[in-house]
Amino acid sequence: MNKKIGVYVCHCGGNISDYVDVEKVRTSVESDEGVCLAKTTMFACADSNQQEMVDDIADQEMDGVVVASCSPKLHLLTFRAVTERAGLNKYNYVHANIREQVSWAHSDNKTGATDKAIRIVKAAIAKVREAEPLEPLMVKSTKAVAVIGAGVAGIRAAIELAEAGSDVYVIERDHFVGGRVSQWDNLCMTDETGKELVTRLYDKMMKHQNITLYTGAEVVKNSGSVGNFNLKVTLRPRYIRFDCNEKDLMKAIDVCPVEVPDEFNFSITSRKAIYHNYPSEYPHLPAIDMENCTRCGECEKVCSHIDFSQKIKQVDLTVGSILMATGFDPYEPPEGEFGYGIIENVVTLQQFKRIVHYCDNTLQYHGKKIEHIAYIYCVGSRQIDGENKYCSRYCCTTNIYTAITVKKKYVEIHNYHFNRGIRTYGKQETLYDESSKLGDIYLQSFEDDPPVVELQDGKTVVRINDILTGHKSLDVEADLVVLVTGMVPRKDNATGELLKVPKGRDKFFNEIHMKLRPVETVIDGVTIAGASQGPKNIMESMNSALSAAAKSFSLVDSGELALEPIVARVDQESCEWCGKCEAACPFSALSKLEIEGKTVVQVNETICKGCGMCLPVCPVDAIELTGYSNKEIESMIDALIPNI
Amino acid sequence: MTRINPDFTSELKKYGVFDANACYNCGNCTAVCALSDQENSFPRKMVRYSVLGLEEDIQMSLDPWLCYYCGECTTTCPMEAEPGELMMSLRRWLTAKYDWTGLSGLLYRSVTVSVIAFILLAIGVIGFAALHDFNPEQVMHFGHYFEMSAIGGVLLFILLPNIFRMWRLTVFRPDGKLSVKAHFKALGELIVHMFTQKRTLGCDDSQVRWLEHLILVIGYLALLFTTVFLDWFLAESRTVIVLGYAESTVIFVITFLFVLARITMKREVSKHSHPSDWLFVIWLFMLGLSAFAVRLFIDLQILEENFWIYLVHLIIMVQWALIIVPFGKWTHFLYRSFAMYFRRIREI
Ligand SMILES: Cc1cc2nc3c(=O)[nH]c(=O)nc-3n(C[C@H](O)[C@H](O)[C@H](O)COP(=O)(O)OP(=O)(O)OC[C@H]3O[C@@H](n4cnc5c(N)ncnc54)[C@H](O)[C@@H]3O)c2cc1C
Ligand code: SF4
Ligand code: SF4
Repeated sequence: MNKKIGVYVCHCGGNISDYVDVEKVRTSVESDEGVCLAKTTMFACADSNQQEMVDDIADQEMDGVVVASCSPKLHLLTFRAVTERAGLNKYNYVHANIREQVSWAHSDNKTGATDKAIRIVKAAIAKVREAEPLEPLMVKSTKAVAVIGAGVAGIRAAIELAEAGSDVYVIERDHFVGGRVSQWDNLCMTDETGKELVTRLYDKMMKHQNITLYTGAEVVKNSGSVGNFNLKVTLRPRYIRFDCNEKDLMKAIDVCPVEVPDEFNFSITSRKAIYHNYPSEYPHLPAIDMENCTRCGECEKVCSHIDFSQKIKQVDLTVGSILMATGFDPYEPPEGEFGYGIIENVVTLQQFKRIVHYCDNTLQYHGKKIEHIAYIYCVGSRQIDGENKYCSRYCCTTNIYTAITVKKKYVEIHNYHFNRGIRTYGKQETLYDESSKLGDIYLQSFEDDPPVVELQDGKTVVRINDILTGHKSLDVEADLVVLVTGMVPRKDNATGELLKVPKGRDKFFNEIHMKLRPVETVIDGVTIAGASQGPKNIMESMNSALSAAAKSFSLVDSGELALEPIVARVDQESCEWCGKCEAACPFSALSKLEIEGKTVVQVNETICKGCGMCLPVCPVDAIELTGYSNKEIESMIDALIPNI
Repeated sequence: MTRINPDFTSELKKYGVFDANACYNCGNCTAVCALSDQENSFPRKMVRYSVLGLEEDIQMSLDPWLCYYCGECTTTCPMEAEPGELMMSLRRWLTAKYDWTGLSGLLYRSVTVSVIAFILLAIGVIGFAALHDFNPEQVMHFGHYFEMSAIGGVLLFILLPNIFRMWRLTVFRPDGKLSVKAHFKALGELIVHMFTQKRTLGCDDSQVRWLEHLILVIGYLALLFTTVFLDWFLAESRTVIVLGYAESTVIFVITFLFVLARITMKREVSKHSHPSDWLFVIWLFMLGLSAFAVRLFIDLQILEENFWIYLVHLIIMVQWALIIVPFGKWTHFLYRSFAMYFRRIREI
């Protein structure tokens, strides 16, 4: 059957028509095979033109449409929608880009540009001729979401999902929830403590019947895809029974002879092999860290609830969507960076927060009273030579807030801020103001001339060429140097790798589009939230947690999902299973299948992204891409280079 | 390398009211200042030095004296750091630094000390007069004698050594060669500025301020000359007598206007009054007025019966000459003009 095709050539104001003779394009294609109507239009995307198109399609009973205008990134969806409104299948619409690819690229050669535009439009017409109507792929979706990571972002997302009516499995690797926030005392800008915040979230989460919390848990296997992810989760035991008696447990902690650096306190203190993070951590039960436990049995002697017979368990979960909220690590400076690890009183901001936590009336470290504190900013962020080019955003604000807290809590504190330009953006600017007014001193340098920390006669001195004082060399004798460290991605990203969550240049999880699709990843069904995506403060983590929850929920809510039909299709007759395509697929969408004694490849259509990587590697040409069939592409090539 | 001293601002705050710590170094104050230039860029730099407590750099700088306090910077400052008042406070602080006796700083920092000093001097004068049975002739003779010796003594023992100290801090460099020639070449600058204060004209605010100030300075110097060298109170010459009346009137009228300005606080320059500012204008006002009254009483021939008026005048004069001139605000008259002179030397 011969298709009736409508062609619209856009002026784009003058963006196209200033360089491309659009009228010539129109006349060159109007008598092409199948073309029943060819028009030029000032703005194809304008409402009036869209309506005209709808009317034309109906009047002429068209079967296909081509619009030659800007990039499909801008308006492909607009014109697909127009064809759908006119009752056509939207895959019978083909977009020709004659702006980015023609008029803008060849503004120096109008004749050549017009010629190229004609060929591109002819190719689009050729594709429409061969195009088939396609229907979206429908898959069933399980109404459950796995939230990975029970930091504030994960818990907040879980609560939201549960309230919306989904089942939620919260999978936390640690034995305790709350993530990093439970490590900080007072928080900017609300002044409440991290513990208070985590308590509120935890209590709220535990009220929901449809949330299941797994601690000591880690996803070890995933099969399936959006709508139906099948997760295998291992659960490490605490080796302590839930019905335990608190007093006995405290005794058990007391007698444990093993001491290891306490990572909760960033190693400024040590803990036992049987431990808890802080006296009322959640869930309210210590755990035994088997990596360091020597099985000496001391604890068992004083507490009958210790149970070394507990075994690692596995659970299988099926969920429609996965929400990643695995958070971040604070940057740990290498030995020697600003004297860290060499000079005793050089610590990181995260350590400083813990030091303040343990000091009541006087601020002291290693038994020495602290009055003069030098803060060095952007450590591990905005590096010119290192990998972390980005600004960690949270640190200026958090540090100034901490400096103010310290100044108010203890007497005779002098704060010196060695910064590279303060970024207390938005409402947080008031903190900067407050700290200046309290007498904090700000010194600034450029990235190529950072401050220097050195020992002079046993005293720690920080020196800077201050750009606010005409590059004068100034120094401070500091009792404590605090390195204001940035955020880096979690060192252990096993789960992210398992799920193939892509990473950006900064190595944090990457969204599809920073502005338009900020919580979705290219892995359908996997959303990202909180600081796993990049440096964020709590408010920003909450924002992304809520939108990721909404996005995940939209995938599981109706029980059914419509997916793009542009996927690989295998001709199982000609397939001889060589495995080349399976190796080429970046999304693991292809697998072996035995049918009637023959091994062939099969496509998991819910995983396939339609990227086409498998097509060229097939030696027998058994794979085609729906919507980009050989017939379609070959006819386009013929139209583009007719003389060969 | 210079060590930061965060305690300096609290020390400096004893010399004035400002909030240098609020400064976020935008530089607006320097941008609007009509007197600041490439070589002497202020007040932001001084605000910064103060915040960091770079005392040596401040002492070596002449910038505070080059500011004539129009207050544009203070009105422009988005952080209300009051840079203008900070410059004023630095001038007070420098006055104290230059003073080898240390009394200046003591008086600036403590109102109590100032009040005690004023009272002691008043008691001293009354005691002295009592010793001489309040004999007008003897006491007035002493008064005249005091004027002369005070001028000489204060100049020789306090002001000149202090100016020398200022020179050492701002001009003298142990390593650099000192050009004696430059000291002569620049002298003109000293004379011009001492008698005209013409730099004030560079300020953006009203020129009236400069004129008032100029008339006051001329009136004051002229009265000093008339009383000390023409012995106004005992003079017979009609010209001298009228001259004295005119001069003292100029003084108390203009200082009255100054006091009024400080009370109404309309101009930026008179918004913040340190006790030393009040003392200066009020004492000068009273000096002019009491001198006027004494001469009037003489001319009306009622001084004998009302000798107290001379005592009052003497007390005011003694306090003026022994406190305000050597240790108080009066010195700005010298330091400002010497700063212009020293700057010129440094330039040559
Ligand atoms: C020193 C410091 C002070 C700060 N102070 C403030 C402040 O005052 N105010 C403020 O707004 N923000 C502050 N922040 C920022 C705040 O800590 C973060 O915004 C917040 O922690 C982000 O929460 P999250 O849930 O995304 O990540 P996290 O807190 O890192 O939580 C992630 C959770 O995921 C778990 N997890 C990780 N990997 C896996 C895995 N593979 N499987 C299962 N679970 C996993 C972790 O155990 C953890 O519980 C501060 C940050 C630092 C470094
Ligand atoms: S927030 Fe501040 S300290 Fe942190 S990286 Fe950015 S500029 Fe540096
Ligand atoms: S205008 Fe105010 S804030 Fe800006 S530099 Fe001057 S004193 Fe500082």
